[in-house]
Amino acid sequence: MSATGERQPMKRLEATRSLRSLIKGYYDDLFRTASEGRPSAWLNVGVPCEFFYAMDIFPFYPENYGAACGALKITPQLSAVSEAHGFSADLCSYVRATLGTVFSGEGPYGELPKPTLQVSAMNSCIMIMVWWRAVQRHWEVPTFVVDTPLVRDQSEGINLDYVESELRRMVAWVEGQTGRVLDLERLREVVRLSNEGKEIWSEVLDLRRARPCPITAADIFTHMFPMVALRGTPQYVAHLRALRDEIKQRVDEGFAAVEGERYRLLWDNLPPWFDLKLFDDLAARGVNFVIDTYTQAWGPRYMGPIDEVDPLRSFAAYMGAGFLNVQIGRRYDLLAELVDLYGVDGVVFHSDRSCKPFSLVQVELRRKLQENLGIPGLLLEGDHNDQTLLDRGRAWSQLESFLEVIDGRR
Amino acid sequence: MSGRAHTGEPPAGPAALARLRSVGTDPLSELAHIKERTGLMAMGYFDSYLPEELIMAHGIVPHRVTVSGRDDPRSHEFIQGYACPAARDLLEQALRGDLSLLDGVLFTRYCDSLRGVFAVWDSQKLSPFVDFVRYPTVVDTEGAVTYLAQELQEVSARIARALDAPLDERRLLDSIAACDRKRALVAELAARRATRDLPLAGADFLAVLVAATTMLPDEFTAALSTLLEHPPAGEPGDAVPVVLSGTTFDNIALAAAIESAGLYLAADDLSTGSRWYGIRVGSQPAAAGETPTDPWEALARAYLTKPPCSVKEPSSPRADHLVGLVRASAAEGVLFYLTKFCDSEQVEWPFLRDRLAREGIPVMMVEGDQKGEGSGALSTRLEAFRERFELGGEDS
Repeated sequence: MSATGERQPMKRLEATRSLRSLIKGYYDDLFRTASEGRPSAWLNVGVPCEFFYAMDIFPFYPENYGAACGALKITPQLSAVSEAHGFSADLCSYVRATLGTVFSGEGPYGELPKPTLQVSAMNSCIMIMVWWRAVQRHWEVPTFVVDTPLVRDQSEGINLDYVESELRRMVAWVEGQTGRVLDLERLREVVRLSNEGKEIWSEVLDLRRARPCPITAADIFTHMFPMVALRGTPQYVAHLRALRDEIKQRVDEGFAAVEGERYRLLWDNLPPWFDLKLFDDLAARGVNFVIDTYTQAWGPRYMGPIDEVDPLRSFAAYMGAGFLNVQIGRRYDLLAELVDLYGVDGVVFHSDRSCKPFSLVQVELRRKLQENLGIPGLLLEGDHNDQTLLDRGRAWSQLESFLEVIDGRR
Repeated sequence: MSGRAHTGEPPAGPAALARLRSVGTDPLSELAHIKERTGLMAMGYFDSYLPEELIMAHGIVPHRVTVSGRDDPRSHEFIQGYACPAARDLLEQALRGDLSLLDGVLFTRYCDSLRGVFAVWDSQKLSPFVDFVRYPTVVDTEGAVTYLAQELQEVSARIARALDAPLDERRLLDSIAACDRKRALVAELAARRATRDLPLAGADFLAVLVAATTMLPDEFTAALSTLLEHPPAGEPGDAVPVVLSGTTFDNIALAAAIESAGLYLAADDLSTGSRWYGIRVGSQPAAAGETPTDPWEALARAYLTKPPCSVKEPSSPRADHLVGLVRASAAEGVLFYLTKFCDSEQVEWPFLRDRLAREGIPVMMVEGDQKGEGSGALSTRLEAFRERFELGGEDS
């Protein structure tokens, strides 16, 4: 088999076309916000954008921006800039790419405007906090950290009280920095839209259970953008509705995203943004990643509907037990559940050098899945944003061998 | 070594130093002796944010598990190679059975590598009891103090249940006092080393640090008191004084190699050193008519307000701490030891480098995996670093 063997081109979702204009509109808004002197905030994905939309503060997510750098394969050049400033080449590739832009003004959208403030939450990794710290020191931008201590599986009791108090502290701090007061009624309106979109997202994830699966992992990964950055806006709901309807139509028509779907696999971790073509190349072998853990982080198990009556408490509960803020037991339970629900033949664990919390439990998860459920797993060394850290040839050989393992079990 | 010979010491001094060196270089043997003599259980921990007083309050011996520095590939069967080598070393010790004396271990969320090690430890049940403190990262709020005080009590309750080792309130206060005493003595030793009043070699000082979190507090205090009262003789040589900065650093052989290059480790900015022995909890029984200080709150406050590690927010007080150490010890430069794959230190390094440059303090960064004495190339770099001072020195 060749990694680039001849085949019919993959049929892309129409919704992916409209996604491009959604992203363009978002970046236009970012630059317009800056030029008009309105406030903007750099947030990490663990900080709910809903608060900021409710306060009319433009939320910008550098992790999304980093992924864009990855997709354009410019992380190595930007990384060279951050390395020249003394930052290690071993750091997360999102960090290296973003700092490269901050230091040089270079990047896919040119120089990024300096935000009014930054907020990060501790519910993913230490890296996020120190990344924001590096930007804070360079741009001298006010920065706030929402403390969300690591939990075993749920945020409850004193932990939940603490995270809620941290959210209240965040709101007060943002109000102090911007002079904008959080109107709870306005927050509830944003939450209503956010919840509506999350419900649709949940349907999208469920539709992937169909045999054959109507979409590929490459299709869905790109649609993470509105889930991260636009929750609570009308355009987010409209986009997700169009996406859901298109996928549902495919299911109704029995459409197979991967012709002759032979292997139904699960992808664990972020994708290699610079090489989503990997999924297309594997499709030629009958492989479809019918489900993944990354998109689940925005699914109902980890980011469910927010209680409109007491939104702060409800946000705190989800933030406190975010996908990367819980322990291996809950990660295993999710994998086992997905394997069953989606009829998975095997799991590819993308061992992502740039995401330690996601990756450093994978060896153990693979062992447990094999021992408990007899589901084979492959540990694939790579990176989510730096193409120099993925040995494509070696990865391909490993994937081929893995498919043989699955064949041997049939 | 810096050429400071330990000759002519009074008899008590050498004996105390020999004892501390012995424990420092083989802490697990000391733990075995303690367990044999006392019959007590032992609880391991891994970073200086974990209050050892919490463990002692249950009548359990706390033991900071130090980095062994041994080459051992077996962790690769459980965790990827881009986890911090110090964290992998701790896991390897457990996997090869070196830590079988521990009846339990307590983690905090210190860093993302150690968090990965916790997951494996917990999943593989590498010790009879495994638990973690849901530790704050933000260290400068009253909310964090209140929360940590509550969380420590919840952990305490779980220890009591799981190990049938009830908490003794009186023992908690005694533990706080005992740990404050020993940390104050280590601080005194550090201060006397900094002024060359007691120019103990850096390798020996590291051994003392390891002994401090290994020996029973009263025994350690007695040994260190003896050393302070009867210091080894010796003149400060012409070695160039520097401050060693980093996170966990238990590598006694490397410390000796650094001093062999003509440098004197006059002070430390280590998480296992000055960012630990500066802790003073200070909770005492109240005098008549006074409101007693809650020992849990006192513990939480003391551990959260110590000079921070780069994994905590805010971390900026650490730079002031480091510059203060340079001034107080009249050090001529800083040696920054960056452990491979340590995310937070990798980001902190350019900041500290620039801050030191603004202060006119030369700094050299050494990246390593906490194993061995370092390479010949490292020796050459260290000697070049020393020579720049002998030649009148320029900023790095």
